[in-house]
Amino acid sequence: MAPRKPREREMLLESVIALIFIFVACVDLCDGATVVDVYRLIQYDMSGVPFGSRLASLNHHAASLHFSPHADLSRTVLLIPLRELNMSFVKEYIAESKPLGGLIFLLPRMFSFENKDGMGSNHQDESKELLKNALDELEQILIHANVPYPVYFAFEDDNIDAVLTDIKKNDVTGQPATATTGGYKFVVSAPEPKKVVSPPITNIQGWLAGLKTDDDAHQLPTIAIVASYDTFGAAPALSVGSDSNGSGIVALLEVARLFSLLYSNPKTRGQYNLLFGLTSGGPYNYNGTHKWLRSFDQRLRESIDYAICLDSIGSWENELWIHVSKPPENAFIKKIHEDFSRVAAELGFKVNLKHKKINISNPRTGGLVDGRHFVNEAAIVRSVKLIAESLARHIYGHQGKNIQIFADNSNLAVNPSYVQSWLDVLSQTPRVAPFLSKGDPFVMALKKELEDHTDEVNLHRDVLDGMFTFYDSTRAKLNIYQVASVTFDLLLLLVLGSYLIVLFSFLVITTRGLDDLISLFRRPPSRKVKTA
Amino acid sequence: MTVFHFFNCAILTFGPHAVYYSATPLSEYDTLGTSIKAAVVYLATALVKLICLATFLKVSESDSFDPYQEFLKALIGFIDVAGLYFALTQLTHRNISQNHKFQAVGLGWAFADSVLHRLAPLWVGARGLEFTWDYILQGLEANANLVLSISLAALGSLMWLRKNKPKTLIPIIYLSAGIVATMPSITSYLRRGLGWHFPKVVGFELFTSLVMAFISWQLFAACQRPSV
Repeated sequence: MAPRKPREREMLLESVIALIFIFVACVDLCDGATVVDVYRLIQYDMSGVPFGSRLASLNHHAASLHFSPHADLSRTVLLIPLRELNMSFVKEYIAESKPLGGLIFLLPRMFSFENKDGMGSNHQDESKELLKNALDELEQILIHANVPYPVYFAFEDDNIDAVLTDIKKNDVTGQPATATTGGYKFVVSAPEPKKVVSPPITNIQGWLAGLKTDDDAHQLPTIAIVASYDTFGAAPALSVGSDSNGSGIVALLEVARLFSLLYSNPKTRGQYNLLFGLTSGGPYNYNGTHKWLRSFDQRLRESIDYAICLDSIGSWENELWIHVSKPPENAFIKKIHEDFSRVAAELGFKVNLKHKKINISNPRTGGLVDGRHFVNEAAIVRSVKLIAESLARHIYGHQGKNIQIFADNSNLAVNPSYVQSWLDVLSQTPRVAPFLSKGDPFVMALKKELEDHTDEVNLHRDVLDGMFTFYDSTRAKLNIYQVASVTFDLLLLLVLGSYLIVLFSFLVITTRGLDDLISLFRRPPSRKVKTA
Repeated sequence: MTVFHFFNCAILTFGPHAVYYSATPLSEYDTLGTSIKAAVVYLATALVKLICLATFLKVSESDSFDPYQEFLKALIGFIDVAGLYFALTQLTHRNISQNHKFQAVGLGWAFADSVLHRLAPLWVGARGLEFTWDYILQGLEANANLVLSISLAALGSLMWLRKNKPKTLIPIIYLSAGIVATMPSITSYLRRGLGWHFPKVVGFELFTSLVMAFISWQLFAACQRPSV
């Protein structure tokens, strides 16, 4: 009985102490650095020539644009807000390959696809336009440069804005980051970027069969409606491409939905086949579209009456452009243009014709600027109505007649909710082709949606041509630490040493006085006994 | 922070205990055993307090200052006084004078408190890159706590071990002991009730501990003088 109690108490004490330590450890682990989502500049090779940001991991002190002109920046990360961007500075540092530890560009929140402010607003003030132009120019510079250090994009928020204010203050007062104030250290822990092997290209094809009469022996003519769905941008994780070509995808899906209603009834089925194509590889010389077309058999290719490609139709107001590859004097082109113009006039806007050789070598598809904030779904709705009405008149032979098949408030009306929902989805989905896996959920969603509206859907899978090589690591977490320097800790050690010495002296003096005071009143015999 | 910074903060937190032991006559009178026993009593007292806190206190979701809960905490805090009473009066010890006994008990008590409350945060904080002033302030708080512990031990020694006290000083001794014993509740009120920040609280603790140490020293010295 007696010996058991101490052991039990000791075990209990140990358990409680261990629990306390664990609890304290957990509490302290939660307290830590600021963490910001960052998105890396794309890294790719074109015919073996390196482009983009060639590194991913980052571990340097931070500075702002107010650094001293004589400062060595080779181990410094510059934190640059887009609002203060000096384009000549970027050109100087990138074109002349001046050494830097890293670059982080702070973008306004309106470029974020998680930003819901002013969605669908088409009234842009001047500062927004300036920011758009600056970001577009910056993006072109970065995409076509070879940058040997990490480059990241981040969005403004309260935390990183506070850090930036502190950094500016330090830089203005000329305090280097290694002073006793410490400063801020930016850390991105990322592995070495790896090549994306055999980047996949997936084309989605939908087919609505036309009505075939018994006495007709030849193949029905086909009209093709095509839209490219993938994007390319400075930051692959941010390339949502709301307008180019999210608007095209939405329009194609809505046209397919409308015509599936018509073609589901034999009485309203037209005598044209409808071929819907959602193609990949658009930014790379329309590599996917090229492969898709090559996969057609001869009879299908010959049966195509005409093809219409939908691209960037979400940001126009009163004028819509049609690009044609044949001269406008061509009788067929003239007829098409007349059809579209007549429908457009009924809808209250104008269609312009532009004849030029289709240049596909420098597309602008889904960059940082192309976000939900700058897309107007009303424009898409009008585009869908124009395309659907014109196609229907062509199919059913109603040219010249004042009939509206897709009139508002009818069961064949264009559905704005449908357009808006898909636009929202597309505006939150980065779609750079090399980073879409085979069987990517987004591609499967498009396929399923097309299956709902067409008779037959096929996937054509291929591989991007070897001319392009892409590297992974498109997003990361940036940890921001406020650090102290070794100098500070050395000073602290000196202060502590001095403090302990002073404390020792004080205690010795005090206790001697006390002992002397006490010993004065002690009896001599006791004192002698202790001494002996 | 780095390991170097951890080292610095550990010196600030635990160094004064070692300095106190070696600078004063404690090291000459073999009081280490007493300090160790006092530390063990402290751990037992901390366990009892933990059980009482878990039993009687509600976990408030808001971080507001609840007077009733704080009153309960103060009452539970007096378990420390009971533990100190036990350490001063019940521990078997060799031939140690009262002067050194209360100092040894106070030192052991304060050291155990620092180990229990500050060693783990220090160790965990050393692994992060983030620099904060919290660990330095925590070390300063450990210093204030050491001074307060020895003051309370001195007052306890006067209350429970000294028989012939001047009668005019008895109320002052009890009042001072009460103030020192309720110091944790006072700092909790300052921090959560008045919203003081940690540096301000630590400054207050340092100032108050020095004042109470001076008062305790004066009381102890006065009680040492024989009555005429």
